[in-house]
Amino acid sequence: MATDSITQTRRGRSVEGKPKFAVAFTAFFMFILYVPIVVVVLFSFNSKKSLSVFGGFSTRWYQQFFHDEALLSSLRASLLIAFVAMLASIVLGTMLALALERVSSRPARITGTVALIPLVTPEIVTGVAALLFFAGLGMKLSLFTVILAEITFSISYVAVIVRGRLSSMSDDVEEAARDLGCTPFQALRLVTIPTILPALIAAGLLIFALVFDDFVLAFFTTGVDPQPLSVRIYSEIRMTISPAINAVGTCMLLVSVLLISLSLIVPRLLGRKDSSLDLISGG
Amino acid sequence: MTDQISTSAGTENVTSETPAIQLIGLTKNFGDTTVVNNLTLDIRRGEFFSLLGPSGCGKTTTLRMIAGFSDATQGRILLGGQDVTSVQPHKRNVNTVFQSYALFDHLDVEGNVGFGLKRKGLEKAEISRRVNDILELVDLDGRKTAKPRELSGGQKQRVALARALVNRPEVLLLDEPLAALDLKLRHRMQVELKEIQREVGITFVFVTHDQDEALTLSDRIAIMNNGVIEQCGTPEDVYERPKTVFAAGFIGTSNLMTGTYSAGAVTVAPGVRVELPGHPELIDGSTSSIAIRPEKIWIADFEPDMVRVHGTVAATVYHGATTQYLVNISPEIQLTVVEQNLVRSRHDDRWSDGDSVEIGWKPEHVVVIG
Repeated sequence: MATDSITQTRRGRSVEGKPKFAVAFTAFFMFILYVPIVVVVLFSFNSKKSLSVFGGFSTRWYQQFFHDEALLSSLRASLLIAFVAMLASIVLGTMLALALERVSSRPARITGTVALIPLVTPEIVTGVAALLFFAGLGMKLSLFTVILAEITFSISYVAVIVRGRLSSMSDDVEEAARDLGCTPFQALRLVTIPTILPALIAAGLLIFALVFDDFVLAFFTTGVDPQPLSVRIYSEIRMTISPAINAVGTCMLLVSVLLISLSLIVPRLLGRKDSSLDLISGG
Repeated sequence: MTDQISTSAGTENVTSETPAIQLIGLTKNFGDTTVVNNLTLDIRRGEFFSLLGPSGCGKTTTLRMIAGFSDATQGRILLGGQDVTSVQPHKRNVNTVFQSYALFDHLDVEGNVGFGLKRKGLEKAEISRRVNDILELVDLDGRKTAKPRELSGGQKQRVALARALVNRPEVLLLDEPLAALDLKLRHRMQVELKEIQREVGITFVFVTHDQDEALTLSDRIAIMNNGVIEQCGTPEDVYERPKTVFAAGFIGTSNLMTGTYSAGAVTVAPGVRVELPGHPELIDGSTSSIAIRPEKIWIADFEPDMVRVHGTVAATVYHGATTQYLVNISPEIQLTVVEQNLVRSRHDDRWSDGDSVEIGWKPEHVVVIG
């Protein structure tokens, strides 16, 4: 009987019956993790210029942000980088995933492992390597070099996510498409891509969010003007600490949370609703 | 062994007599392994033909070569008299029902079934009419807008069948389509499959490892083993007159005995001679294998012309409708005897372990294998 009640508690995901220190530790961890973020959001609405005393509610720092042409051009640059990196890494990463999933030779398995290395490499190493690479080629650092570096960095993520979906798709499905009159390319376009579309959308949103607020890689590979938003914020903080940065940070947080949420929700919505994919799948 | 397999290779003018499928010397190697070995086979129009064999016997590879998913290493494949050996799968007039069903998750039932017709460029009204007709045939007309994940295993199976049949292919290839269904549903689908095949009149090539399924459904069966056809014939042919030891053992249970033939009997064990009347073709001193089905062996109430052998009951298994006896006719040879429980309905009426019995069979029920 005693064991029964324990299993039931576990199934019900209740806190009851768990060691008290574990609950307390988790709560403490969450507190440490999120309090700074809450403070940033809170102080972005501060009416005072102080970063330690809250004077009252105001949107002055947001107004300042939206009138700061340098910050806005950085925001546009970051959006452009994220968007291009997202599209390019989706295409390249999906191609890589398809190849790795189809070919089962030894070189393919090695390639599969090598393709995962960027996921575990410290970003600073990737950043320095990218910088040396561009310098070696004599390329002038600009938004273009940032985009190239971010694409390289993102391909692995896309490949991992798309492979996950591909491996749950039976090989027969593409053969069925061939059997029903598709050329290999039509099978890819009409069956494989629509089947993995939820994964593609999830990967795209994730990459956008990751690249949009990426700092390390952008810092090493960016040119002077315009700088990505994260790099701009860093250089501003070094000179003067303006509460407007809190407003920028809050905006970035909002965009990231929104995108990550979408990347979690959209595949479920697509999975359940009818006809939403017919535009892509229709012949 | 190959007399059932005649090939009309070379006949290039197509008539109604032209087989739906001709396989000529078909061979498939994966690296050093020969999976299908010099297979020659004709499958007639409108026939329900089964490729039966254990896993790894090459039956699925053969089917995949007919569909075009796998290239033949050697040999030719003719569909309706046309050589399609190097034709791409989407240009072959065959359709496949996959073991995994391989439905398109992102399309509903109607989209799945209409997929092939859409690829062919048929008009919307025509597609919709034919999809409706075929869904009615497989009893799914109420589930047109359902997505594959909302369907049960049996329903998915029907969608897969409908998706292939709606294209009215010359040949329908079925790769163990019922293997994933539970026993009861499988039996029901077997009946339905046979009915549907009669109704549409399309040639079915059915791959299975399930001998009951093959016997129940097929007009003809090819028993495959190690990449070659052991025997090809009607269910009755392969069951009642197995031509190889493998065929006798794979389909049903067989009592196999091997020994030296002399003077109308085979010595299957020291001192155990089994009479074998009516086989003038056998030469004295030759080694012969004989096979007898368990249900063809009697344990009492013999008829006058029966061959009889003495033995001891080693085990008795009561199955309800039948009782199975394992009878030792020598220390090495154990025969399986299955008796219908027509008369002996109480335990005391039946034989038990250790009983000395006489068993017998009609001479014509003994099959002599090479």
